[in-house]
Amino acid sequence: MSSELLDTAGTLLRKLRSSYDELAVMINGIDSVMVKIVNNNVALKYSRKSYNVGLYLVKGRKVLILESSTSDLNQLSRAADDISKYVHIIEESELYAPLPEPRQVKPLGNLVDSNVVKYMSEPAKLCEVLINSAVNEGGERVSGILSLGVRSKALVSSNGFEGFEVGSEVSTYLRVFKGDYSGHWAYGSRFLDLKSIEDVGRTAAQYASYAKGFVDIPPGRYDVILSPLVVGNLMELVVSMTSAFNVLAGFSMFISKSLGDVVATDKLTLADVPRDVELSGSTSFDDEGVETYNKELISRGSLKTLLHNSKTARKFNTVSTGNAGWITPRPWNIAVTPGDSNIDEMVREVRNGLLISNNWYTRLQNYVEGAFSTVSRDAVLVIRDGEVVGNARRVRIADNLSRLLSNIWLVGRKCYLIKWWEVEVPSKVPYILVKDLNITKPFE
Amino acid sequence: MSEDLLNYVVDYSRSLGVKYSEARYQLDKYFTIILRNGKLVTLGTSINDGVGIRLVYDNVLTFSATNKLGRDELVGIVRDAVGRARATTHLVKTPTRFGDDVVSRGSYEVIPTKDFNSLDISEKVKLMAELHEVIVSSVKEVKVPTTYCEYVEHVQEKLIVNSDGGFVRGRVPRLLIMLNLVLHHPQKGSIQRIMEFGASGGLELIDEWDLFRVVEEEVRNLEKSLVEGVEPPKEPVDVVLGPEVVGIIVHESAGHPMEADRILGRESAQAGESYVKPEYVGSYRIGSECVTVVEDPTIPKSYGYYEYDDECIKARPRYLYKEGIIYEPLHNRQTAYVFGTRSNGSSRAMDYASEPLIRMSNTYFKPGDMEFEELIEDIRLGVYIKSYMEWNIDDIRWNQRYVGLESYLIVNGELRGYIRNPVLELTTAGLYSKVVGVDKNLRFYPGTCGKGDPPQGVPVWFGGPNIRLSKVRLGVTV
Repeated sequence: MSSELLDTAGTLLRKLRSSYDELAVMINGIDSVMVKIVNNNVALKYSRKSYNVGLYLVKGRKVLILESSTSDLNQLSRAADDISKYVHIIEESELYAPLPEPRQVKPLGNLVDSNVVKYMSEPAKLCEVLINSAVNEGGERVSGILSLGVRSKALVSSNGFEGFEVGSEVSTYLRVFKGDYSGHWAYGSRFLDLKSIEDVGRTAAQYASYAKGFVDIPPGRYDVILSPLVVGNLMELVVSMTSAFNVLAGFSMFISKSLGDVVATDKLTLADVPRDVELSGSTSFDDEGVETYNKELISRGSLKTLLHNSKTARKFNTVSTGNAGWITPRPWNIAVTPGDSNIDEMVREVRNGLLISNNWYTRLQNYVEGAFSTVSRDAVLVIRDGEVVGNARRVRIADNLSRLLSNIWLVGRKCYLIKWWEVEVPSKVPYILVKDLNITKPFE
Repeated sequence: MSEDLLNYVVDYSRSLGVKYSEARYQLDKYFTIILRNGKLVTLGTSINDGVGIRLVYDNVLTFSATNKLGRDELVGIVRDAVGRARATTHLVKTPTRFGDDVVSRGSYEVIPTKDFNSLDISEKVKLMAELHEVIVSSVKEVKVPTTYCEYVEHVQEKLIVNSDGGFVRGRVPRLLIMLNLVLHHPQKGSIQRIMEFGASGGLELIDEWDLFRVVEEEVRNLEKSLVEGVEPPKEPVDVVLGPEVVGIIVHESAGHPMEADRILGRESAQAGESYVKPEYVGSYRIGSECVTVVEDPTIPKSYGYYEYDDECIKARPRYLYKEGIIYEPLHNRQTAYVFGTRSNGSSRAMDYASEPLIRMSNTYFKPGDMEFEELIEDIRLGVYIKSYMEWNIDDIRWNQRYVGLESYLIVNGELRGYIRNPVLELTTAGLYSKVVGVDKNLRFYPGTCGKGDPPQGVPVWFGGPNIRLSKVRLGVTV
């Protein structure tokens, strides 16, 4: 497959080379299978086989991007010719920077798990494992997704870079209902681990079963343990704000910060980890052919770097961090450095608080100030004097991201591999205890 | 893409014993201009086309997609889907059944007055750059640290055939302009606004939107909100919500909970379920008699416009809530069968690689006949929330929050001064039960509605008139 994709990319590059000063061709392939489980029942089998071609075209510092699902070279050439007509009538890009000179890229090794490929033709067996693990733990109604796939990418550029990568991925999440309560868990990796698949059903069912009855809590400030699902969702937002393009475009609370500024407690170290092959976003080179490397974004509470491609790096007078995006730098995988607490210790630490097991719908009033809210779903365990006393069900965290980062009190020592609907960037994250988070509920 | 090839795929699948078969070719073509602070960052084109095939084989529903469009490739996709369905049958406890609906054969097309090609690219860039100048020149006391603008032309084409005799050909061009701006004051902090203009049609929309005047007026008011805004009253007061706020409210707490697939739990692990139970339909009171919420894909020029859905069902207006009563859920053929009714044409896919799902199109609160002045004339002390930024709602569409942006104090029936960040946090019944007045000024706003896995974002409009809620306690942001 490697030579086929690279050949196609190379042919396209040669075809268009004379028309542009700089040029890159990226081809992404996907072969995936997904099963949707609804109420213990397979509701849908989904499969997809497709290729997507991206062209990065520069003439006279003017930047054009073409993306197409077609693999027909002639059609692509025609589309590139069409878009090239714009070159003469537009201005130079505000963010232009030359494509970086290619350097040696250290490969990541084998990223394909043959087990993932095997189960792509028989995903029903894994679905049974998922459903049974939840039902055996007391779950009554089970819904979720099992997704298996192989993604490939080929990149060639006019300055001589040539790279190919192929990797498998598995992600699954289950929501388990028991009576009026529910629990949710997720897993995402390059590699299939049956125990982790079983843990998804088991943990979701445990949260659904954990309730000791409904406890009505008043709005106010609480010490809150955030589960890895919640940490994954909120840290994805924080990391997106470290993308230098988002800083420039006004979608970041780091717009007024400098490197070295304290933005969190020293308990938090947050990193982009493209070289962690357990996570399915791992890659050895970015969209500009720059070798990736693991990097701390927030190091013991201090802002250490933004995510850069060559364009934003030039604007910020620095170097690429290997996170291109042709326009927008992006994270590959997210990791929070583990702390030294376990979940039981965290619960014992809380006098008046909550454990929020899952959340969704995180929205901001103001990106540059970090004012946000997010809604809990599934189990919200009420903790008093170190003991779980009940389930508060649906509440809302309505606070400020800066304050949340500054109130991190304990970080779990165990990290979980999370990827699901509300955590799109593969993440390796622990439980985190945050002091004095503002919790709201409807007035009526 | 030829209709013959799609028919061949449907016929071939039937020959393998497939009970229902549907082949949809879809093309989505985008042209995008991105500017920051009025300067061009990039131009982009995206062409995304392929075929999505949905089959019901041995009670199993499958969906497969490919962008390799040869006959052999498509036949191979069907064979694979049937094979995988066979291997899964034992896990299917609830067979997939479609209602006995009347499918259509028809076509629709939106023809712009001014084609996208009628304006030179450089002119389009210039137009968007001028928006930055309008923003910067509209403020006096604050700085504008950043503006960001996306201009997006989108042309969507669909060709659908199914084994029940359905055939639909559709073509809809759409235009979207998105602006993000930040205003900053050294003592008062910052205020941020994302504005969107979107509809189906062509470049005539830019004139119709009165873009520069609307942006200028809003930026001036936002500056005053930032500089002069105070906290909302602490006691319960009458609150008037503007069309933009009403629009997002009906989308979130009338449209989503009335999607029949949610009601049946099909989205429970993703976008969630619904407070609505099947037995509520036709009898359950959720709001006052002033509350009627309509869903209508057929509104001319609308962002969510279509005439036939992706199951070849003719589109029509639906009353989600009628005079405060839960009235008609949005259905596809599968949920219609379960509810013992007919599909009302709500099935739509984002692109060729997406499964058709029950989606909203254009959702609005039905206007009344009052003027705005009449709506507020007897309010002694109240708050008018005209726009918002932060919003969210829980997974059963019950507990919702909207944080106002451009907001005013109402004193003795007149707008007097600015309010900052008023928080409306109510249950769905709490909110709709408090509606005591509705004016006539219906307006729509564009949005991209997310649902499903793999996630699908589809264009929608939402809107309404100004509505008045009686005695609401507002919160403040922390």
